Amino acid sequence: MGLKVKWLEFCVVLRIHEPFALGAMASASNNPTTAQPGAPTPEETQLRDSLKRCSPAVIEAAVRFRATKDAELVPTIVLGIIERYLEAGAAERLRHADDDVRVIEDLGLDSLTLMEAVILIEEVVQISINNDELRSLRTVGDIKVFIDHKVRGLPPPQPSKYLPLEQVAAVMPQQPPFLFVREATLSSAWATGTYTITGDETFLAGHFKDNPIFPASIMLEALGQLAVLYLLEAPSSQLGAPVDPKTILFTGAEGVRCHRVCRPGDVLKLSVKPKRLRMPLATFEGHIRVGQERAAVAEEVSLTFGFLVEAPAPVAPSAPTVPATPAG
Amino acid sequence: MTYTPANSMGSPRVFVTGLGFITSIGLDRAGVTDSLRHLRHGISHYPAFAGADSPVKLLAPVKGFEVDSPDFEDWKVPAGYTIRREVMRALAPNGVYAWCAMQQCIEDAALTPADISNQDTGLYAASGGSPMLLFRQMVRMNEVGVMRCPPTGIVASIAGTLNFNLVAGFKILGASTGFSSACASSAHAMGFAFDEIRLGRQKRMFVVGGEDCNRESMLPFAGMRALSVQTDPIKASRPFDAARDGFVGTGGAVVMLLESGDEVARRGARAYCEFLGWGQGSDGHSVAMSHPQGLGLKLAMERALASTGVAAGEVDYINAHATSTPIGDVSELRAIKAVFGTGGARPWVSSTKALTGHGLSLSSVMEAAFCAVAIRDGFTPGSAHIEKLDPEAAGVAVLRETLAEGPRTVVSNSSGFGGANVAVVLRRA
Repeated sequence: MGLKVKWLEFCVVLRIHEPFALGAMASASNNPTTAQPGAPTPEETQLRDSLKRCSPAVIEAAVRFRATKDAELVPTIVLGIIERYLEAGAAERLRHADDDVRVIEDLGLDSLTLMEAVILIEEVVQISINNDELRSLRTVGDIKVFIDHKVRGLPPPQPSKYLPLEQVAAVMPQQPPFLFVREATLSSAWATGTYTITGDETFLAGHFKDNPIFPASIMLEALGQLAVLYLLEAPSSQLGAPVDPKTILFTGAEGVRCHRVCRPGDVLKLSVKPKRLRMPLATFEGHIRVGQERAAVAEEVSLTFGFLVEAPAPVAPSAPTVPATPAG
Repeated sequence: MTYTPANSMGSPRVFVTGLGFITSIGLDRAGVTDSLRHLRHGISHYPAFAGADSPVKLLAPVKGFEVDSPDFEDWKVPAGYTIRREVMRALAPNGVYAWCAMQQCIEDAALTPADISNQDTGLYAASGGSPMLLFRQMVRMNEVGVMRCPPTGIVASIAGTLNFNLVAGFKILGASTGFSSACASSAHAMGFAFDEIRLGRQKRMFVVGGEDCNRESMLPFAGMRALSVQTDPIKASRPFDAARDGFVGTGGAVVMLLESGDEVARRGARAYCEFLGWGQGSDGHSVAMSHPQGLGLKLAMERALASTGVAAGEVDYINAHATSTPIGDVSELRAIKAVFGTGGARPWVSSTKALTGHGLSLSSVMEAAFCAVAIRDGFTPGSAHIEKLDPEAAGVAVLRETLAEGPRTVVSNSSGFGGANVAVVLRRA
C-alpha cells in the first residue's frame, strides 16, 4: 500500500530529525546540495513551498510526479495532503483507514478544510476539480479514485453514494426482520455497510440458549445482502444494465472463515468488492470488521442475477437455485 | 457599587464594563495604563520600511505577535492565547489581535458564556480589512489560478472581517455589523452600539476596532503625504507641535463592552465609567483633508454635548483626534476653540497618538478605552513629544505632562476620511 510505504518513510525521517525541523528540511532540500545537476526549477521550488507542511515522502512523491506523471504516486500525494490538515488523532485514523473512511464524518475535516486540501491537491497534481465533483467526494477512496481518473485522463468516476436505512429497505428484496444491512455506501468498485447487533433479533434467543452469539451464517448472509445492494444500486457498476431484484439468488461461498465472536452491541462493518461480474454470475470478496478487529472473511460470495427486462417477458428459470438466504 | 439603571427620561443608562487591549503601547490594561501614565511610546524602526524605496521608516508595531507571514499557519500569538486553526485561517492579522482582545474583555468583565451568546448581546466592529491578505490573494489568483485561492480568503481580508469572524466565533446572536468611516469607524461603532442599548434593543454590546500593522496597511498613506518621515521615534508622532510632519501608523485591536444599567446591576459589574452619549457631523468638504475650520468636528462636539446635557464648562478633558498631520491638528484646535472658547483653563486637551501612533479604524475605540481607564484609575494622560507648541493652540489647554488626577467628564474626538467626525462623551460612574 502506498500509504504504508509513505508512513514508514515518514517514521524513518522522524527518528533522525526533530518534527519541527521538517519545514526547514523541506526548504533546505530546495538547495541543490544533493548530486542533482542544476538548481531546482522555480516550479519545483514553488511545489516544495506549497507542500512544506507535508512529510518529506509526500514532497518527494510530488516532485517525482511532476517529472514522470506516474499515477502510482497519486495515492501517496493525496493521502499525505489530507493528513496534513488533520488533527493528530484523525491522522492516526487515516493511516489505518480503508478507502471507505469518510473525510468529514470520520476524520472530522470540516467542508472548508476539505476544500483547502482539494485546492492543494489540484495545485500539486495540476488538475481542476469543479464544484459538483467536489461535492461528490465523500470518502478517502472517492478522492483517490477521482484524482487517479483525472490524472490518467479518464472520465471522472461516478461518485460513491450513501444510502440510509430507509433507502436500503426501499430497494432490497430482503426486509426486516431479515435485513442485515442498515446503511451503505456504494461506489463503482466497492460497497460498505453496517449492521448493529441489537440483541432483539429473535434468533438470538435460541443461538444460543442464555448465550446470544450472532450466527456465522447470518454474517455470511449480511455480506450476501450487501452484494445484492451493490448489484441493484452501485453507480456505473460495470454491469451495463439495471438488475432485476427478483432474479438475484445465492449460489455459493468459498473460503469463509470467522475470527471473532460477535454479540449484541457489536457494530458489524461490512465490505464487499466485486471480483467478477458477468451475467448471470457475480462474485464478490467480503470482509466484516468490528472496530479494528477482523470478524469474518469470505474469499468468494457468488450470486446469480438477471437484467431488468423492459417489456414484461415470462421468466422461466431452468433449474431452481438455492434461495439468497443461506440455510441456518 | 450601585448605579441608577435609567436616566431622568426613563431610558437605560449605558456603562463601560469591560476592556481588552492589544496595542502598540501594551498588550493588556496594566501595560497600557503604565505607558499612558509615563508617556511611554510604542514607536520604532520597522524592518519592512527599511528599504530605500520607503521614505517612511517608523511604525508603532504590536509586540508579541508574529502575523507578517503570508501563511497563517506560521502565525504566533503570545502565551496565554490559543486560536484554533479553523478560526485562524479566516482571520486577518487584525482579526488575530481582536480575537485576543475579545478574550481579555470577556475576562475583564467576567462574562459567562450565557452573557455573551444571547439575543440581547450584539457586536459592532470596525476594521479597514487586510490589504496584505487581499494583495496576496490577488497575486495568487493571477499566478496560480482563480480556483486555487483559499476558501476563507474573502472573509479574512475584506473590511467586515472582524464582525464576520467575531460574531461567528463568539456565537453572538444580537445586533451585528461593521462600520467603515476610516478613522472615525470605531467611534461610529461605539455611538450606534450606545444607541442600541439606549433604545432598549440590546442590553450589551461589544465594540471592536482593529487594524493590521504592516507594510501593506500603512505605506499607502505615504503617497498621500500623510505619514511622518522622521527617523527619530520621539519626533515622529508629535500632535500639536509646530514642526509635526505627519502621523505614524499603528495597528492592534481594542474591545470595549457597553452594558445597560440593568445588566450592570444584575451582574454586579464594576463600571469604568458611564457612556453618556455621542454626536456626529460631516465636513462636506474634501475626500481626504479635514475642513480648515473643523466644521464637522465642531458640530459633532456640539451635538454630543447637547444630547448628553453636558455644558462645555463641565468637560475636564478632551482626548483629541490629532494625528500629528499639519492640517488635521489645526482644524481640530479651531473646532475646540469654537466649542469651548479660548479661555485656556479648561478643558485639558491631549492626543495619545503621540504614544500609540494612529490606528485608523482602531483609534476611536482605543482612545475612548484609554479615557475610560483614566477616569477610573484617576489620571489624565498628557500629549507627549511637544517641543514647540503650534501657535494655533494659543487659548487651548494642551496638557503636556500626565496629571495624577482623573477627569470626571471626557470628550473623545475622531475624524475620518470624507470629513466624518464623531465625538463621544464619557463620565465618571
